[in-house]
Amino acid sequence: MTATDDLISRLSADLRPVRRLAPPMRRAAGWLGFATLLIAVAVAVFGLRPDFAERLRDASEVVQWVASAATGVLATIAAFQLSLPDRSPRWILLPLPAAAVWVATLGLGCLAEVARVGPAALWPGFSPGCMAFVLGLGLPLAGSLVWMLRYAVAIRPVPVAVMGGLAGAALSAAGLWLFHELEGAAEALIWHAGMTLVVVGILLAFGRSWERREAEHGFTGA
Amino acid sequence: MSACATIGPVFAKGPRAPRLGRQRSGTVVVADGDGRWEALMVAAQAGDARAYDLLLRDCLPLLRGIARRRIADAHEAEDAVQDTLLTVHRMLATYDPSRPLRPWLIAITERRCVDRLRRRGRGAGRETPIDDHAETLAAPATETGEDRIAGRQLREAVAELPESQRTALRLAKLEDLPLADAAAKSGLSVGALKVATHRALKTLRRRFGAEDKP
Repeated sequence: MTATDDLISRLSADLRPVRRLAPPMRRAAGWLGFATLLIAVAVAVFGLRPDFAERLRDASEVVQWVASAATGVLATIAAFQLSLPDRSPRWILLPLPAAAVWVATLGLGCLAEVARVGPAALWPGFSPGCMAFVLGLGLPLAGSLVWMLRYAVAIRPVPVAVMGGLAGAALSAAGLWLFHELEGAAEALIWHAGMTLVVVGILLAFGRSWERREAEHGFTGA
Repeated sequence: MSACATIGPVFAKGPRAPRLGRQRSGTVVVADGDGRWEALMVAAQAGDARAYDLLLRDCLPLLRGIARRRIADAHEAEDAVQDTLLTVHRMLATYDPSRPLRPWLIAITERRCVDRLRRRGRGAGRETPIDDHAETLAAPATETGEDRIAGRQLREAVAELPESQRTALRLAKLEDLPLADAAAKSGLSVGALKVATHRALKTLRRRFGAEDKP
């Protein structure tokens, strides 16, 4: 018997029933529902930002908010699609137009502040209160998404991690905008880029060991 | 009960109609015509070990074909096939029975082949091909009789190790596989594999005087 035949016999002997993953769109919808609920709870607890009505009249802010929300939704869909072996790698293109608009509006915001305040505008100020808001929303969003996508590390680790990171950052940006004002565009840009990198890092660093451990203890695909 | 009898009811769900797919290499792949693989996979997901065994053996030629087209070295290609089987095992839950199984298998196999080639590429940077040194190795000035005896003694010492320790040493240290993969290939748990590897190394060290005898 060859080593491969032997391996097949062992894998068959080791087989346990698995709970099939729900279709990717349903999983994406489930996570987006969780994210919406989390944001709604945060808004209910902290209330809408004081200048909310005023900000709604600013077309560029509204465009930025819509672009960040759209980036979050589309990147979530892309991440769940890409996490399956037989789906097209072209799903990675889905959130790019919205992400381009979002990043461009953030970049323009930075430039406008530099023109107004000078180069000091590029140096973000991190207040502990602000950090608590950003982490309080960002970490549950990013953490839950990483957990749902952990099985993808065996197939397309980097594209899935990047899409997951983008989704987490974009939705936490859209959520934060409703109830908390970041000090400036540079700070927002740094936070969102940081959040993306954190998700990418966590998924790449721990995803494989989580996935292996689950494989050893019976993968349920929760 | 035969595997097919076990999987009978799942045919009613009816996987998608067979279709033609085109691999990246340009070869047209005819999807499994009667949905048999898909049905076997559904049964495997439900825990039917016989259906699973049948499916893995049935699709082995497809996996080997892809691996051998991608990887010139036959041993390395077979290792990629084994990596693929392990990934299939871990990712069973991700297969959607409403879709054909073949593209799912092909995608996993190609991914594992790329990983193998990358790992090999990284390793090649650190290794020196032994063929280049054939003359040096043959030269009596560089390989002394003592070296040859030491090599033979080491081989004999390894051969004398218990089967489980020898396998653990080969997979975990010589082939440098990740623990979980080495454990799956050896049929040992990760803990047992670690213990076997540790004991094998300890025995060898003791035998060659690198460690005090108990």
